[in-house]
Amino acid sequence: MAELIPFIACILIAFGIGSNDTSNALGICIGAGIIKLRKAVLLFGCFVLIGLVLQGQKVMKTVGKDLLEVTPSVLSISLSISALFIILFNWKKLPLSTHQVLIGGLTGSGIASGIDVNVVSLLKIVLSWIISPLTAFFFSFILYKMMEKTLSRLSFFRIERILRILLLISGILIAYNTGANELATVLGPVIYSGLIGKMQSFLLGAFFVFLGSVLLSSRVIETVGKGITALDPYSGFAAQLGAGSCVLLFTFLGMPISTTYCIIGGISGVGMVKGMKTVRMDLIKKMIINWAVAPSIAFISSFILMRIVRYWS
Amino acid sequence: MLERVFSGGKTEQRVIDNIKKHIRTLGSASDCFKRAIEGQDKNLMYCVSDLEREGDSIRREIISTIYEGAFLPFLRPNICRFVEIVDEAFDVLEDAAHEFDHMYSKLDPDVQEECVKIADINFKMCELLLLAFETLFTREDLREKTLAIRIYEKKIDEIKIDLIDKMRTREVRGFWEGKILSDFISYLTHVSDVIEDASDYLYIINVSLR
Repeated sequence: MAELIPFIACILIAFGIGSNDTSNALGICIGAGIIKLRKAVLLFGCFVLIGLVLQGQKVMKTVGKDLLEVTPSVLSISLSISALFIILFNWKKLPLSTHQVLIGGLTGSGIASGIDVNVVSLLKIVLSWIISPLTAFFFSFILYKMMEKTLSRLSFFRIERILRILLLISGILIAYNTGANELATVLGPVIYSGLIGKMQSFLLGAFFVFLGSVLLSSRVIETVGKGITALDPYSGFAAQLGAGSCVLLFTFLGMPISTTYCIIGGISGVGMVKGMKTVRMDLIKKMIINWAVAPSIAFISSFILMRIVRYWS
Repeated sequence: MLERVFSGGKTEQRVIDNIKKHIRTLGSASDCFKRAIEGQDKNLMYCVSDLEREGDSIRREIISTIYEGAFLPFLRPNICRFVEIVDEAFDVLEDAAHEFDHMYSKLDPDVQEECVKIADINFKMCELLLLAFETLFTREDLREKTLAIRIYEKKIDEIKIDLIDKMRTREVRGFWEGKILSDFISYLTHVSDVIEDASDYLYIINVSLR
């Protein structure tokens, strides 16, 4: 019965990734009429699985093996706390990074149960959380500058057609990263705890992401689709591809990083090209606070819960 | 799916073709208007109303195709606005044609000459607007075309001032005769303002994706 807890939590998180991240990846393309919802969901599911199979292993190893030795109790508590926070934050419409709560939960419950946490690994992860938005900022800045020198020189209708292709490519890249980095972060501890085999977890994880995408993504996409009417596709593409390339780079390095924070970095990078005044510093400050608070709360909650569980048992 | 992504889609092409047709129809209406004033032929002026109706149906088709999903959503309001402005030019031209139809007497030769000049410039501005729209497919400089439109518009403003000076010295038999003539001149000179607005909007569309 206790083994079911991490399973259920893992399914909930995968389901949440599917419902939210389809819009992150392909919401713009659907809103722009480049691709229909059904095809987008199918494309998203396929690229999540491809990303997971081709490049998920490194991130899985970092989170599931290098960071700490995951025991069933650590897994149950960290995944349950993460699932609870993800649902709660989504319900309250607050942005939350799945990676951060998971890492916070794993280290919190690990320390509470007396397991040695690899400080070097943890520092590397935290450092990558700091560096990744800055890298996305830099990538998007350079990309936008390059686009100004190349794409802007083409005729208007050619730019429009090329942007359609580029938006689809950047959407597919984000979908690929969702599998290779985000889902891999969730599945890493489950696989390395020995609860389930690698291939089984790949298929189940991708299936529940796909299910979340099929059942719940349409509502989120509808909001994004309506919201992007005023969105400048030129800047949007530069920010999205800059962020996507950044996540891909960190996936190569095996670092679990947040796409959301990278996109924020990317948008700021594009904003910087247009002038510092266009970057909303108050929003950036809020994001930085959220960035620090989310893993801390997950760490403390998991630590306390693990101590309570150990006390009673 | 890929064909739609790479070719830009049939709906986009339909919109582009219809926008060209819309501007060409405006040019035809302006030309017809000019010929009607030249010949002081009220019967010929009916072609303006016919072409305005045709322009209306083209506009409706363009807007509905855009709502079907042509172009990136970011661009749709701007393209719709451009089409609406071109349609406004049709309306103003039709109003001028109506006033011409209601005139009690023929235009004085000196006033007629100035009106023909304005109508001719309006027609040339329509041709330039079409050329300006076509630069959105090429790497040609749109600014040259919009600048030429602005110069034409300024020319019409100058003619308008002269025309108003002439009108002030002219005797009218009654209120309606004066009002109709004054409205006719107002509408006729306003067409160029609307075409200039349309060309400005083209410029906005052009820079919106850069």
